[in-house]
Amino acid sequence: MTEGISPIDLVLDASGTALIVMLILLLLSIVSWVMIVQRWLVLSSAARNLLSFEQRFWSGMDLSQLYKEGSQLQKADNVQLVGMENLFRAGFKEFMRLRQQASVDREAVMEGAQRAMRVAFAREEEKLEKHLAFLATVGSVSPYIGLFGTVIGIMNSFLGLATQTQATLQVVAPGIAEALMATALGLWAAIPAVVAYNRYSTWVESITSSYITFSDEFSSILHRQIHSD
Amino acid sequence: MKSPIDNIVIYNGYPLSIIVAVGFHGLLLAFLLYLQTARAPEPLELVQPSVIKALFIDENPQVVNEKNVQRQRQERTEQQRVAREQEQRKVQQEQEVAQLQEAEKAREQERERAALVERQQLEQRQQAEKLRQEQEKRSTEERERQREVAEAERVKQQQQQRLEQDRQREGETSQAAQAEAARTELELVQSATALIHEEVRKQWSRPPSARNGMRVIIQIRMLPTGELIETKITQTSGDAAFDRAAEVAVYKASPSFRQLAVLPITIFNANFRSLSLIFQPEDLLN
Repeated sequence: MTEGISPIDLVLDASGTALIVMLILLLLSIVSWVMIVQRWLVLSSAARNLLSFEQRFWSGMDLSQLYKEGSQLQKADNVQLVGMENLFRAGFKEFMRLRQQASVDREAVMEGAQRAMRVAFAREEEKLEKHLAFLATVGSVSPYIGLFGTVIGIMNSFLGLATQTQATLQVVAPGIAEALMATALGLWAAIPAVVAYNRYSTWVESITSSYITFSDEFSSILHRQIHSD
Repeated sequence: MKSPIDNIVIYNGYPLSIIVAVGFHGLLLAFLLYLQTARAPEPLELVQPSVIKALFIDENPQVVNEKNVQRQRQERTEQQRVAREQEQRKVQQEQEVAQLQEAEKAREQERERAALVERQQLEQRQQAEKLRQEQEKRSTEERERQREVAEAERVKQQQQQRLEQDRQREGETSQAAQAEAARTELELVQSATALIHEEVRKQWSRPPSARNGMRVIIQIRMLPTGELIETKITQTSGDAAFDRAAEVAVYKASPSFRQLAVLPITIFNANFRSLSLIFQPEDLLN
């Protein structure tokens, strides 16, 4: 046993179960950080798009003009439209299509538009909530994985103690330290995942609630339009 | 309307987030490594805990006897060598003295002969030159012959001396070979005892009732194959658990005694057929 053991040494010297557990936890940590960054990018861009589209929507622009701009953007610049704009496009498209058919009455047109918006909303919500479940899983499971590694490690060091004639702290200390390293890594992976999960789920909630508000507002506009004829 | 960030989101932001996450972990690892290297040169004071060793005191009477015998044998050979050297020196001195005396005698004889010759010359000065020359010739011949004899004797003595020295040297080398053999034998014995002690010590787990100053002597008997036949407690420590622990240690260690089978049978019979092991804890805290 050399002097001055650092956490790095503990990881490098680990063997067997402890090493496997540590590698799993490291992998989980990396993947969860990938998810954290990716979710942050997606959610922040969704929030930004929400604001900019609301501005455009309430600027008094003609709705068919807004719809044409969107299609142009989609075709010419090959930009994938996100969020609220998709909601608007789905509802407006269905509304226009149904209104052109003379046989369909007003209520059916409204219902069709609302249904299309609900579908689009569900799709958008799914996009926003993707991977959040993974973060939640990492946050709740990785401490247990770490604990498992610790229990196995401590068990091994006690088994090693059994063969000694004289039990000294030096015999068990490195093994226990190594085992505790697994718990530390588990917590290390879990804490950011839990924080990110809580933060992002409230963010997603706020975005989806503004989607719902928008779709309600938009359907009231459509309602007004269809009854003004 | 569209910012660069949104273009990244077109690919759902995966490449960037993977780079960021891996880079973050790499940075963390590098930081830990840096901490380690920065901390390494600091002299760390380690408090050595009092590790308790199971001490095993070697007091094998047979080995001690063997050593004594060895020492005595060496001393005796040394004494013999010194005595022989002294004797040789004495012989040489005597020879030298004898040579000197002989030379003196020869010179005296010559002197007498010269005087005789002078006297004869005085008496027979009238006698023919021829005679004198003859006489002189004879005397020189005589002298030469004497010298030759002396020379021959000296050569013979030298040869004898050389022979004797050779013989002595031969004797010394054979003694050295014997000493060498004895030393390897001792080494074998020592390594075998070390093996036994090490194995027994490894297996020896002392009961909690063990105290400093306890002492149990166990006599073991072995076959030349290294098989343990019997153990006997010849001196008990007074604590049954301690005695039993020592005995158990011997039994547990006995499979490794098989290694003694490689020893020459003479050495085995002399040292290991029956053996006393002393178990004595030395450095317990209580």
